[in-house]
Amino acid sequence: MKDFDFLGDDRLVDALLMEVAVLLQNFLSHQSAGAIDLLGLPLSPACLAALEERLGEGEISALLRVSGESQIRETKFPGVWWTRHTDETGRVVALLIEVAAVPEILRASTSDMEHSLKRIREVSNFRRAGQTP
Amino acid sequence: MTATDESLGDMLARRGFSRRGLLKFAIAMTASLALPPAMAAAMAENLAAARRQSVIWLSFQECTGCLETLLRTDSPTIAGLIFDFISLDYQEALMAASGSAAELTMRQVVAANKGKYLLAIDGSVPVADGGVYSLTGGKANVSMLEEFAPDAAAILAIGTCAAYGGIPKAFPNPTGAVGVEDVISNKPIVNIPGCPPIPEVLSGVLVYFVSFGRLPDLDDRKRPLAYFGTTIHDQCYRRPFYDQGKFAKSFDDEGARQGWCLFELGCKGPTTHNACASVKWNDNTSFPIESGHGCLGCSEPDFWDQEGGFYTSLAGGAGPGWRESGIAAVVGIAGGAAAAFAARHKTPETKE
Repeated sequence: MKDFDFLGDDRLVDALLMEVAVLLQNFLSHQSAGAIDLLGLPLSPACLAALEERLGEGEISALLRVSGESQIRETKFPGVWWTRHTDETGRVVALLIEVAAVPEILRASTSDMEHSLKRIREVSNFRRAGQTP
Repeated sequence: MTATDESLGDMLARRGFSRRGLLKFAIAMTASLALPPAMAAAMAENLAAARRQSVIWLSFQECTGCLETLLRTDSPTIAGLIFDFISLDYQEALMAASGSAAELTMRQVVAANKGKYLLAIDGSVPVADGGVYSLTGGKANVSMLEEFAPDAAAILAIGTCAAYGGIPKAFPNPTGAVGVEDVISNKPIVNIPGCPPIPEVLSGVLVYFVSFGRLPDLDDRKRPLAYFGTTIHDQCYRRPFYDQGKFAKSFDDEGARQGWCLFELGCKGPTTHNACASVKWNDNTSFPIESGHGCLGCSEPDFWDQEGGFYTSLAGGAGPGWRESGIAAVVGIAGGAAAAFAARHKTPETKE
């Protein structure tokens, strides 16, 4: 943690914003999503708070409830997302800045949708047969 | 569909977990394994398609502490379910079968999974006198290792004993105990040292293997870099006190009460590579230094025979000394007893 202290929080935040800019440029050029793993960086709580403040709050906020909670929030920069995943005990297991049109985890997967189709058909078949599923 | 050909994705769907849940698990695992976040989607996809991974677990010269701690990972989470998904085909302490029936099972599993099974070993391998000091069914541990290693995809040396010989190897090492890598040199081996090892590290290695079909990146001692790349000291929350020169001088002085650095009390954090300070123990509750005791360096080779012992500082200081520690302990116990006596005998009027 000491290795980066000489930089100071403001310069670290500036460096991370530059990295976000690189990811945005990459997305616009190649349509390829990117992310920065903030837990893997030696950032102080004050630096994280400063970074979160600089990115600000945007138009979308989503709460995912699976294996604990996940908060997925668009920042004031469209396409730049602040994502915080916690486990069942409330421990933060991942903290990311994601650059994507929509974070992958918000999309319903094809396999889950196939499962939905099967279940909906089962429900409607039960109804037609006059039974309660 | 039988249990053996069901994919992990199908099994999780059957248990009510969506693919989002699996992706979230993969995101957390990539963070834990220090992989680029972009690998999470590929990991989730590979995990969803994965079939059961056969694991044969042999216990050699050991205390069962490694198995005990790893069983504590059991929880109704995706991580717990992935542990269920691992097919632990042979583990003497856990399997219902015993004797010749168990031996037959193992040989059938080996034949059916030739070149694919993971061989997990806990305990050191005694090699003195033909390995006679530890036998299973009359067969020396070293012979079993040499028999089952060639057909394994990789070997997991779980705990400091399997990795480096551990406590059985401590001086004078009467059984000639060694680690797995001293016997087997032509197979991929991952060492997961610790006495015991951290359960989450084994989970991470297993998930990586099931996801990508190979072991994660290792350091020069064959330990997963993601968990053993830094020292306890580098990640310790008491590190700022070390930098400020604030040290506890005994286990009950003002420095200890203030939570200062335990370096002078023999903490081996600066030379010990492990993830205790970040992953912690018992569902991220704590780790030895957080409980007020220095790191013993249990994940390093020959930790039991360190010069000066556990309570001598790495700088060569004498540490607190047993006499002082003993007096402090007696005073503490006596003080506690006196306080308890006083509390029991307080009259209602004197209660605060």
